[in-house]
Amino acid sequence: MSASNKAARWIGEIVMVLLSLVFLYPLFLAIFNSFKTFQEVMSDVIALPKHWTFANYSYVWNFINYPRLFLNNTIITVLGLAGIILVSSIAAYKLARTKSRLSGVVYFICIMPMLIPFQSIMLTVLKTARFLHLSDSTWGLGLLYWGFGAPLAVFIYHGFVKGIPKELDESAMIDGASGFGLFFRIIFPLLKSVTATIVIIDVMWIWNDFLLPLLMVNGSPTTKTLTLAAYTFVGQYTSDWQYAMTAMVMAVLPSIVVFMFLQKYIVKGVVAGAVKG
Amino acid sequence: MASFYRKWRSKMEFGLFTLPVLICVAVAFYVPFVMTVRYSLTKWNGISKHPKFIGLDNFKQIFTGDANFTHAAWFTVKYAVLYIVLINVLAILLALVLDAKLKTKTWLRAAFFIPYILSLVIVGFIWKFIFMQGFESLGDSTGWHIFKMSWLGEPGLAFISVLFVSIWQSIGFYLVIYVAGLQSVPGDLKEAAVVDGAGPVRRFFSVTLPLLAPSITIAVFMALTNSIKVFDVILSLTGGGPGGTTYSVAYDIYRDTFTNNLYGYGTAKALILFVAVLIITVIQLTIFKRREVEA
Repeated sequence: MSASNKAARWIGEIVMVLLSLVFLYPLFLAIFNSFKTFQEVMSDVIALPKHWTFANYSYVWNFINYPRLFLNNTIITVLGLAGIILVSSIAAYKLARTKSRLSGVVYFICIMPMLIPFQSIMLTVLKTARFLHLSDSTWGLGLLYWGFGAPLAVFIYHGFVKGIPKELDESAMIDGASGFGLFFRIIFPLLKSVTATIVIIDVMWIWNDFLLPLLMVNGSPTTKTLTLAAYTFVGQYTSDWQYAMTAMVMAVLPSIVVFMFLQKYIVKGVVAGAVKG
Repeated sequence: MASFYRKWRSKMEFGLFTLPVLICVAVAFYVPFVMTVRYSLTKWNGISKHPKFIGLDNFKQIFTGDANFTHAAWFTVKYAVLYIVLINVLAILLALVLDAKLKTKTWLRAAFFIPYILSLVIVGFIWKFIFMQGFESLGDSTGWHIFKMSWLGEPGLAFISVLFVSIWQSIGFYLVIYVAGLQSVPGDLKEAAVVDGAGPVRRFFSVTLPLLAPSITIAVFMALTNSIKVFDVILSLTGGGPGGTTYSVAYDIYRDTFTNNLYGYGTAKALILFVAVLIITVIQLTIFKRREVEA
């Protein structure tokens, strides 16, 4: 490579890195300002904090009861995810293996809801959830996600199971395995890579989801999610930007930390999910 | 007898495996959907015990005398078209740069992807802070006019802000789809084009772009389905303002249902949104199906 070519390369690299830093600048600003006092935020937003203070953090931590919210988010996400994977994988397996009219109809019923925008049914989802006593509870919200996550999961699993040779089932049956035993011991382990894809897409979705939690669990401070609490908090403290930014940073920090460690897998999962979905 | 038993057993098993998912989907989608259809034919404020049946009156009013809905529909169409075009063009350009074997590629991809893992509501708030407070400081220190404009206070600018923040949040998603697409473009094809004397622009349009077609299909599909439902980011960024100019269809439904307590009327709008999404999706799927058959 010639010298001028090399120089152009370097300039390209530097320009792109600078561009990416400008791109992320809003996030840096949010983080810096969460360490400032109210006066400092008001006098100059773009300056670095003169004295880094954690006072905002301890205030918001206690005010919104952060550990509780974190637990709520975890319960909702884990419960929702476990159900989506269990219910969808067994159904998709059976549907892909059964060749009949009924099977085709059931498959259609399962994936058709991908076309229904959530806003079209939000009011009546709330009514249904109230009727089933699923509203105003983190566990109830987690359960509801089973249905909302199922269509895409069934679709992805179904496509993958079709690629697993049927002889595998038959030889397992000769060995005496059948039903759920066959599925969980033989088939499910083979679904590992798609399951990972579904886990990644659904964790990102459920952890950050806003509208469904807003309708379902916004009634009490003990059932809120992180995003909801940040939303309510900003509503109450419209001008106290230092607290607002702290609440924002605390709400998004778990996602960013997880992303830094699992970057490669997350990007791969998102691409795989988009290509299959 | 044995075969009868086997048949019965396999039917049982089919039921056991598929019934759970059917129940979940019914609770989440089908029951609420049927209720939506029913409520859309009624006048109901949510307080009175029984919704009053009024036939298709809600729909008549929506299509003939609802300025809010017309405005929200226009907003959504404009937003969706610009979002789809801009995000795909920008993402392809960025992907081409990242594909040029940069050493910092991993960092760049991660940096552009980060906003996508954040909740849209929170992204909206962070940008509200930037537009309201950050731009003031930036304007003072740089003196640039661009920072002194009222990005959330003027209807035209507020529209641009909503569009810009949405693109900022999700460009990383489209970027990684295109990067993956570019990686599947065989290198020897590009080399062959170089040998044939094709310049970089020519190479892009006659080799890379056609081979990116499957990625473009996916990305356009995703961009369309997401933009037509835009809601969260507007809620936190502009709250529909200034003067109600940034309401999308989804937000308008939310306003009628939960702010104005027009349950029957709101669900009628919700049903229209569903039909619109359905028609668009079916058209899109048939177009793409036909293209794929030809290819």
